[in-house]
Amino acid sequence: MKKLFLITLALSVSLFAQVSKPIEMPYVDYPMVKGDHDEVAQQYCLICHSWGYVLNQGKKSRPYWTGTVAKMVNEFKAPIAKEDQQTIINYLVKHYGYEVQSGH
Amino acid sequence: MSNINRRNFLGAGLLLGASTLLGKETPKKIITSSSEYVPPMVAFPEKKPMKTISDRPPLLESPRDIFTQAITPNDQFFVRWHMPDIPTYIDLNEFRLEVKGSVEKPLSLSVDDLKSKFEPVEITSVLQCGGNSRRYFAGTGPATHGVQWGHGAMGCAVWKGVRLKDLLNHAGVKGSAKWVGVNGLEKPAMEATAKFFREMNIDEALSGELIVAYEMNGEDLPYLNGFPLRLVIPGHFSDSWVKMLSEITVFDEYQKSFFMDVAYTVPDNDCECVISGSDFEYKRKPIAVMKVKSVIGYPTPNTIIKKGSRVKVTGVAFDQGKGIKEVMISIDGGKSWSTTELQKDYGKYAYRQWTYQWEPKAKGEYTIMVRAINRIGNIQPQVNEIGWNAGGYQYNAVDSVNVKIV
Repeated sequence: MKKLFLITLALSVSLFAQVSKPIEMPYVDYPMVKGDHDEVAQQYCLICHSWGYVLNQGKKSRPYWTGTVAKMVNEFKAPIAKEDQQTIINYLVKHYGYEVQSGH
Repeated sequence: MSNINRRNFLGAGLLLGASTLLGKETPKKIITSSSEYVPPMVAFPEKKPMKTISDRPPLLESPRDIFTQAITPNDQFFVRWHMPDIPTYIDLNEFRLEVKGSVEKPLSLSVDDLKSKFEPVEITSVLQCGGNSRRYFAGTGPATHGVQWGHGAMGCAVWKGVRLKDLLNHAGVKGSAKWVGVNGLEKPAMEATAKFFREMNIDEALSGELIVAYEMNGEDLPYLNGFPLRLVIPGHFSDSWVKMLSEITVFDEYQKSFFMDVAYTVPDNDCECVISGSDFEYKRKPIAVMKVKSVIGYPTPNTIIKKGSRVKVTGVAFDQGKGIKEVMISIDGGKSWSTTELQKDYGKYAYRQWTYQWEPKAKGEYTIMVRAINRIGNIQPQVNEIGWNAGGYQYNAVDSVNVKIV
């Protein structure tokens, strides 16, 4: 009985549609504001994640973006030199954030 | 941004979705605020077009009307990965799940091994991202950290697989074992970045409720939901439901890691909350069991309904596995409440669908609200009562939808 059960299982396995060839992942070109050294943000941020991660967080404060860039460097080991970190923070604050906490 | 530009942009958002599907070059537009930003609808492999918060790693949100069903279809089930490098093909002849570490006999199991050598079990359970509904924190306080999900980072499916306990017992957990680490095949872009890794107490791992699933709603797991294997932890937020599960490692000592100690944490106090707007400077603990919650699937926001229509208001409710006792509904913005009819019970970890027959008799704007209570008396907080946390986790305040009767 157990054997029959196992055979049934084995047969049923092949009925399921498995991924038979590599899947093709779509590419979304999330827009980035040009200028203020957006190329530095592009060069580093997009190594690990799309710009959708930034767009879908809404406007954030300077301390927030400073902390986020620090997290990318310290926790995720993003290889961003100090001056480039500052460039990215300034770019994020200018185009995807605000300077003072209450100014949202 | 002027009104005209903004309108152009919203149109472009739709175009972006369509053109991506057709593989054409996407228009580039400038976007500066999430309140104006509409993620494109893009069809990923085995998925209908879904709100694409990110393509790499893929973050796909289900539409609100999915909550008119107690079981979420695979092709609209939400997707959330952590790392950008996901294998695009898995050969089941090669794929193995390793069970190793503090065990008597390490295992290396194919999917067929799991299906043929262990007892199959099935459970219907909600899978919810810890950051689900995060955007609603911004309704009464500051927006939190993280991607601003709506309610669509959750779903409910029938999971079939083998008990984690059976695998661990088969390998023979050593007496010194205290923790079980799990990780899958997703990889970071750089060697230096720590891989996605989660850990649980050995007692939890051996509880018998956790399963290593190879089927979702009667089919192979969709690729983006973790094909071929995924850990299922009923009642718990999804952060440890590791996708493309490939390694189960038993440890004698707790392993420190970013994804356990920093990500997916809430304030380590009774309310699991802090003063609105404060940052992460607090003692933290990992999020774990889910909190009682209900959401409205129909009507969706801003639906226009004819006066006198018979409206079937419906949605889903769930909790950490104690069971939903009642879902209350208000159609006057919370002034008065009625009870809804609970539908079929798919088990204590599943969605409980609820319905309410409503015949609006007067024209105007209405606010529909729902509030669930479970069998141990946990009730959803009102929007202005919910405790805030910087990570934006565990949002479960009363849901509301505005509709117009004409």
